Amino acid sequence: MSDCRTIDPLITPYVDDDIDADARRHVDEHVRRCPPCHSRVAAERAVRQVVRLKRSEMSRVAASPELRARCLALNVLHAVAASGAASRWRVRMKPFAIAAGLVLVVGGAFVYEATDRSTRLLAAELTADHLKCFGMNALLGTNPDAAVIEQAMASSFGWEVRIPESRDAGLELVGARPCFYAKGKAAHLMYRHHGQPLSVFMLPQFTLPGVSESHPDTLGVLGHEAIVWSHGGRTFVLVAREPEQEMARVAAIVQQGLH
Amino acid sequence: MVSSAFEADALASLDSLYRTALRLTRRPADAEDLVQETYLKAFRAADQFKQGTNLRAWLFTILHNTARNRARDRAREHVDVDSEAVERAADGDDGSGVPTAGAETPESILLRDVLTPDLQAALNALPPAFREAVWLRDVEEFSYAEIADMLAIPVGTVMSRISRGRRLLFDRLHHLRPVHV
Repeated sequence: MSDCRTIDPLITPYVDDDIDADARRHVDEHVRRCPPCHSRVAAERAVRQVVRLKRSEMSRVAASPELRARCLALNVLHAVAASGAASRWRVRMKPFAIAAGLVLVVGGAFVYEATDRSTRLLAAELTADHLKCFGMNALLGTNPDAAVIEQAMASSFGWEVRIPESRDAGLELVGARPCFYAKGKAAHLMYRHHGQPLSVFMLPQFTLPGVSESHPDTLGVLGHEAIVWSHGGRTFVLVAREPEQEMARVAAIVQQGLH
Repeated sequence: MVSSAFEADALASLDSLYRTALRLTRRPADAEDLVQETYLKAFRAADQFKQGTNLRAWLFTILHNTARNRARDRAREHVDVDSEAVERAADGDDGSGVPTAGAETPESILLRDVLTPDLQAALNALPPAFREAVWLRDVEEFSYAEIADMLAIPVGTVMSRISRGRRLLFDRLHHLRPVHV
């Protein structure tokens, strides 16, 4: 009869039925005559059975739709980041580090489900996304080169756009990233503007009735101001913690640049 | 950008990656961060993935590598455990009769009515290395070799950790129940 030391490494594969026939016979013979090893096999087998029995119950925890959307968006982010140079981002940021910032977030390809979500809810969710994205930008970095971002928008989302920049108006592009909302992906353009972060989301293939470039909705959400308008089959949401008057001024610059 | 097929296949493992990340981090926010970093790395390294191999196992390997690096960076408690101490704790089983797969034994009867929350709690209370080995084998159903790759340990150590983890679980679950059989 084999000794327990020889059998020891075979016990777990024996329990898992991941063992060849000869080794199995070897273990069978030993376990039949060795109470401690028998007990070990029985205990392991009992645990294996109960864990597998409860597996589906233990697997009920699922990733949130938001996490799924963010992970999807990372694919686009990777593409944008890979096409540009982080060093350029740092170089460009230097002169504007003191001025703090404006973040302009532009939605790219987007599959927005036109449910009964209100404009306020839309603005609130996108404001939350703006805050998340702003935080992620610090972690991951993005490409601030307008030409690269324009290329990414065109190739990834079929959106031909000239990314607006206006240093005279304090609007400085600092990066781009995809964003996420509902079941779609969106890309971001990030700016800095007079020390205040600001985001603009663009939702393609989605139009909100009653809001236009000349008649936008202005809302206060999550301590931010949001301006929402639809144009050319897309909806834009500008989000910032800035006075309404300043927001209107920035919105005019963005509209002029993007439309 | 990686292909939509790769993206879809990778995202199919999101739930199980998240559950495993939760076991590693124990905090939903940390688990989400870990999963996002895993996907970002996967998309960046997609051209290194060998077609025909197990994408799910590859993603789990990235997840565990990332978790290890984070733990190292934060100088947190190392995932290695005092295996000898755990081995001592797992010793002391005895029994009788010949166990056969699928047959009821005194041990399996003891665990038959274990409640899922008790099992979850017992699993969570295991030393991290053993918890992870049991989880990857018995819940996620990875092979020994796949787990060895993920955890960067030899296959023999994988089997040893699964064995110790199961025996510890048995002791803990066994003691949760009144002895009436």
